[in-house]
Amino acid sequence: MINLPKKPPPSYLVTIGIPFAMLFTVFSFQRVGFNLQDFRENLANRAIVTDPLFNPKWSWAWENTADAMIETVQIAILASIVGCALALPLSFYASRATNLNKYSYFLYKSFLNLVRTIPDLFWAMLFTVAVGIGPFAGVLALIMFSLAIMGKLLSETIDSIDPGPMEAAKATGSTHNQTVFTSALPQVLPNFTAYFLYIFELCIRASVILGLVGAGGVGRIIETQRIFLRFDRISPIIVIILVVVILIEQFSVWIRRKIL
Amino acid sequence: MNIPKQPISQRILKYTLTTAIIFASLWSAAGLEITIERILDAPRQIGILVGAMFPLDTSQEAIDRIIPKVFESLFIAWAGTVIGAIFSFPVSFLAAQNVAVGAVSRITKQILNAIRAFPELILAFVFLPITGLGAFTGTLALGIHSIGTLGKLSSEVIEGIDEGPLEAIKSSGGSKINELIFGVIPQVMPTITSYWLYRFEINLRASAVLGVIGAGGVGQELINQLRFRDFPRAGTVLICTIVLVLIADAISASIRNRIIQGKVVKS
Repeated sequence: MINLPKKPPPSYLVTIGIPFAMLFTVFSFQRVGFNLQDFRENLANRAIVTDPLFNPKWSWAWENTADAMIETVQIAILASIVGCALALPLSFYASRATNLNKYSYFLYKSFLNLVRTIPDLFWAMLFTVAVGIGPFAGVLALIMFSLAIMGKLLSETIDSIDPGPMEAAKATGSTHNQTVFTSALPQVLPNFTAYFLYIFELCIRASVILGLVGAGGVGRIIETQRIFLRFDRISPIIVIILVVVILIEQFSVWIRRKIL
Repeated sequence: MNIPKQPISQRILKYTLTTAIIFASLWSAAGLEITIERILDAPRQIGILVGAMFPLDTSQEAIDRIIPKVFESLFIAWAGTVIGAIFSFPVSFLAAQNVAVGAVSRITKQILNAIRAFPELILAFVFLPITGLGAFTGTLALGIHSIGTLGKLSSEVIEGIDEGPLEAIKSSGGSKINELIFGVIPQVMPTITSYWLYRFEINLRASAVLGVIGAGGVGQELINQLRFRDFPRAGTVLICTIVLVLIADAISASIRNRIIQGKVVKS
């Protein structure tokens, strides 16, 4: 008989957490009306969507989506550039390594967290009400979206930079701002570039759906056709979007390999 | 002082990229008809909207309408994540190169990529005629999208495992199944669980949005109030959503930390 050491008792996380999670799961499924019976009965209705979905009207899509697709890409480009540019200084204020003032650090950090809790389409709805329907609202919404992601990623990267160069800069008598500019910023610039490309890809995906609430881009066309159940017009648009998204991702992978 | 200069090729790259970025933003701004006046006027307009939201509508009727919707979003997100987790777990083994045969892994990965390519909202309106307006549609859409994303992340975790334990099991006469159960799963479980929780955080935001097309959740409430220009009530919806997301994020993040970093042992 092998003499194994005794297994430690499971923690509270396991003994209480797992049964609780299971109960919560059952409760959630009940509350969302999870019902496979109905699903099977109504499966015949799928023809409303799937028949036209698999009979795409390509000619219509070619004629009507080009402008909106370009608009989508433009929204994503402008919003990711402006959002990331705004996030660059903010992240330095929202990091313990570069902001020595405890209170202002907390303020900036909370601000970024707050921006991050509001979903992108909520921003779009709010901005369409504030500045009017159109792509400008979409740009503002995605600026907040990319600002939030970049702020979180970059400030956490700044938290974990090597303190050596900063100490060296301080030892030569530089002010705090000079220290940050010469020793903290160059350390995170490669990460910043990588995050920027990642956020640009996210923005392309997000800008597709902005049109559903009137914030410009190709989603506007999807929404109008969806209301009339013209899924034969929607499916080619979806394919075009997929192709554009994949091309842009390949492009961004290529750039990443070139500069990083 | 003699500082070495940046190599010429790097400087060229730097200037080209800067020009490209400036040119791209100007082209976009021109195409979207964004003028200086509109940018300068935007803060005032946003200020008016925010001003119209306060004081918040905290009447009993509003609370009774909004709170169930907010919780519905929570339930949609959780149920969607559970569907994603249950189905993506076995699939991720099929997609991992070091567990499945080469061809199987490649095909499964392509399927996962295809699932991931569709945004939740597009999935949701494909399901609408089958499942009707309501939370179930949102749950299915989130669940299916989560299978794609979780499957990809989990299979990458499985591909990154340490082969040592597998060899040890093989050399002591264990079967392929034993290798999976005693070699792979204990190694990947903490990371995969934390990905599930991370996905839950993302799904919570996505489920809040799904209401826009009638797939349940708090998005419906927000868009309705904004359409009827009932700004105080829209403000209440917004604040309730923010509070829910903040609390759920905090709980989920602390559990993730505990799983990844382990228990802090006081010595």
